Amino acid sequence: MRRQGGAPQGLLTALAAVLLTVIVAAPFLFIALQAIFPKIGAGSLAAPFSAMADVLSAGRLPRATLNTLIMGVGTVIVSALIAVPLAAIRALYRLPGAALWDVIFLVPFMIPPYIATLSWVMTGQPRGYLEQLTGQNIAGLLFSVPGIVIILALHCFPVVYFALSRSFAAIGGRFADVSRVFGAGPLRAFLRVTLPLALPGLAASLILVFAMAIEEYGTPAVLGTRIGFRVLVTGIDEAIGDWPVDLPGASTLALVLVAMATAAYLAQRRLLARGGFETTGSRPLQADRRPLGRATLPALLLFGAVALVSTGIPLLAVLATALAKTISGGLAPENLGLQNFTAVLATSTTARSALLTSLGLGLVAALLTGLLGAFAAFVVLRTRARGRFYVDLLAALPNAAPGVVVALGMILLWNQPWWPITPYNTLSILVLAYVLLLLPQPVRYTTAALQQIAPSLDAAARVSGASELTMARRILLPLIGPHLLVAMLLVFVVAARELVASLLILPVGHQTIATFIWRQFDQGSVGLGMAMAFVTICLTTLLPLVVLIAARRTEDIG
Amino acid sequence: MDLTPQPPLSTAVVDTPAALEMAGLSLRLGGTPILRDIDLKLAPGRVLALLGPSGSGKTTLLRLVAGLLVPDAGTIHLAGKLVAAAGHALPPEARGLGMVFQDYALWPHMNVAGNVGFPLEMRRMPAPERAKRVARALDRVGLAAFAERRPSELSGGQQQRVAIARAIVAEPALVLFDEPLSNLDRELRETMVGEIAGLVEELGLTALYVTHDHSEAFSLAHEVAVMEAGQIAQIAAPEDLVADPASVSIARFLRLGALLPVQRGAQGWYLRGGAFLAPPEAAPEKTDTVLLPSRALSVTEPRAGMLTATVTRTLFRGDGHWATLALDGGHDIQLLLPHRPAPGAVLGLQISHGSLRWFPSSPSKRTSP
Ligand SMILES: Nc1ncnc2c1ncn2[C@@H]1O[C@H](COP(=O)(O)OP(=O)(O)O)[C@@H](O)[C@H]1O
Ligand SMILES: [Mg+2]
Repeated sequence: MRRQGGAPQGLLTALAAVLLTVIVAAPFLFIALQAIFPKIGAGSLAAPFSAMADVLSAGRLPRATLNTLIMGVGTVIVSALIAVPLAAIRALYRLPGAALWDVIFLVPFMIPPYIATLSWVMTGQPRGYLEQLTGQNIAGLLFSVPGIVIILALHCFPVVYFALSRSFAAIGGRFADVSRVFGAGPLRAFLRVTLPLALPGLAASLILVFAMAIEEYGTPAVLGTRIGFRVLVTGIDEAIGDWPVDLPGASTLALVLVAMATAAYLAQRRLLARGGFETTGSRPLQADRRPLGRATLPALLLFGAVALVSTGIPLLAVLATALAKTISGGLAPENLGLQNFTAVLATSTTARSALLTSLGLGLVAALLTGLLGAFAAFVVLRTRARGRFYVDLLAALPNAAPGVVVALGMILLWNQPWWPITPYNTLSILVLAYVLLLLPQPVRYTTAALQQIAPSLDAAARVSGASELTMARRILLPLIGPHLLVAMLLVFVVAARELVASLLILPVGHQTIATFIWRQFDQGSVGLGMAMAFVTICLTTLLPLVVLIAARRTEDIG
Repeated sequence: MDLTPQPPLSTAVVDTPAALEMAGLSLRLGGTPILRDIDLKLAPGRVLALLGPSGSGKTTLLRLVAGLLVPDAGTIHLAGKLVAAAGHALPPEARGLGMVFQDYALWPHMNVAGNVGFPLEMRRMPAPERAKRVARALDRVGLAAFAERRPSELSGGQQQRVAIARAIVAEPALVLFDEPLSNLDRELRETMVGEIAGLVEELGLTALYVTHDHSEAFSLAHEVAVMEAGQIAQIAAPEDLVADPASVSIARFLRLGALLPVQRGAQGWYLRGGAFLAPPEAAPEKTDTVLLPSRALSVTEPRAGMLTATVTRTLFRGDGHWATLALDGGHDIQLLLPHRPAPGAVLGLQISHGSLRWFPSSPSKRTSP
């Protein structure tokens, strides 16, 4: 006979706690230690907090923090301005091609901002594509704070659009119609019922946008550095990457960034926990939606314009650059050629090995992150051992970890001279970084899936004669499998093209997709970089898009 | 802890052990006592119903038997084998039970045959033999044609039949039912009670059947244990329970009839502030409540010296007229009448005195007359 909450549960919880401590907690701990004790690298606890004081007195920290806030809040405002009208039209009216617009608006979210930013530079800079076509360039707007904010918003607004159109539709279908029965006109129904009920969901999605914006590296690095607009992320990057290396300063900036991301994450979780009013499964029928009437054409123009700016122009600029024989040749039919693509895909080129490295890293990271995330979620939800609260906390911690902070944590933890062996300077350090960065995805998906499985399904298996492990294998795993697969796909996509962590901890002699594109833009062949970008977008945007659409279709039927 | 069956103390008494025996079983969850000092015994081939209002701890008791919870105190024996004691328990998979859940608990990713065959698979039965047994179990519940379906493609009643097939397929020594019919509509529930009764008889099942519906318990069980607030209030055969409820609260829960306050008077026992009921020797000294079972009353023309009642309200119910009658002293009783009485009509009530049950003020245990 076994004691209550017997040995296997305690063992599983302990294993999860140890894994998460090494992979998640230790890097954060080393950042905090480095920020407090600047000489800890030399084995000394001398002069605690002195580095923090230095960073503060030099004015670096307040400036970078303020700039980060400006970038985050600005992105939130512009995203809301774009997404709210689109979501209202999409949810409440009969918009021609509604499903197609949804797919189109997934694309800007899937294009990494650094690629979109580079393509906007190609388009908007002096003698860029826009000037070649219209005689005007937008370099002034592009290399400015509003330019940074607009480009980030064009990447982030789909988050708001999808969250809001779903809750508008559910609320409009259920509650607003009731208010109309009691005499409210359509506008009043929207303002008095639909909008207030959707506010928590709207706020949660805007906070997510804020978190995405303050963690972004590529856009402020390309556009902001030239105008001296330094944010926390680029500040950390410079402190690590530029001589003299300033690890205490980087750690101090990182702590502020982590604090901001944590606050955003907690606020978002609070809002979502309070619960939306939309119920699942009450997807309104097309017939419940009102016709647009004479507003059809303006609405379509609006959707078309947003699609063009967020998806069309970046993709076309990437393609045009990739297909150009020479950049100076410009947009001319005789300047078109496939030699860049041939170079990317040809054997034994740096480009091809970078592509393969990233795909391999993405695959390994997806498998490991998926396993670890599912394991942590299982321990938190289905065991009774006391350590599960610790596991829960650690599994949530990476939500506050921007890529640059993860890289810093990897350097501080694994680049210590006293490790007998270390993953540092090998590809496995990248895998560790990706796992830490993306752990929240499988945790979130598996948690949601596990919560939907009635506990009596476990109990029925146990009573039927299945041990705990057999039950997990035969009942839980198949039921969470599809959700886990989607999460792993997401991990694969993001890891395969991750930029800033890869740049900072790239082992000598290796390249990944993102670092390759980044370096080609800096000093090599922009055309080659953009060909790589185009291949990447196709591989990591279209493939998941197809899988996600297929998954949603089967969900509808099942 | 010792897991081997304990040898009987006296070798002379070698009868078959109880299929299930609980002694002094107690459980607290989150600091609150949920079950207190439960003693139960179930002989092989018998059906025991656990009947009680929602929240009285029935499911918790069943989960203890299944091994899904571990008791704080007391023991559980299955077929003479100790399976649980304070803080220790044999895991559920080692108990060889069958169980039917309130929410069916069918695994959505397996088809009907997969669900039903799972317990056999866990017992490592070879596939051909398993297929035969699954087919037989499905045939028993009338779902032979549905083996390849997914649970989501079945109606509620069909899903519950699959769950029953899964519970009996391995021919377990004890089957646990947790309110299996409470999610079904009334008509289907009545059909299913009949079907389960048929199965139990045909297979000679030993079963612990949890329900809050007394007609379900009475139809299916040899014995009924009434649960109240984590304790067993009474164990009796259905007929005895109806004829002789142990307390006011049991009589009220079983809705056996009107429970009215009584007092001692000059001639004997009176309804409080109302009519004469019975001579002094009908009830012991400390009595303060009487149960007037509906079947103890018959309606006649009012005559002098007789208990009379005034009709205040009637509702037509299909099988008769459900009348609310006011007695002297401000007491109300409800009776099913064959004809609609005129509102305000005065009826005479004839009481069969032998069927009256008397209860003391407190403690709630009834003292025999
Ligand atoms: N995990 C738990 N923690 C604390 N209390 C619980 C838990 N599970 C059930 N209870 C309480 O135990 C009591 C009995 O529950 P249950 O056995 O489900 O009753 P029944 O099946 O008779 O409706 C209820 O008051 C319920 O609130
Ligand atoms: Mg229950």
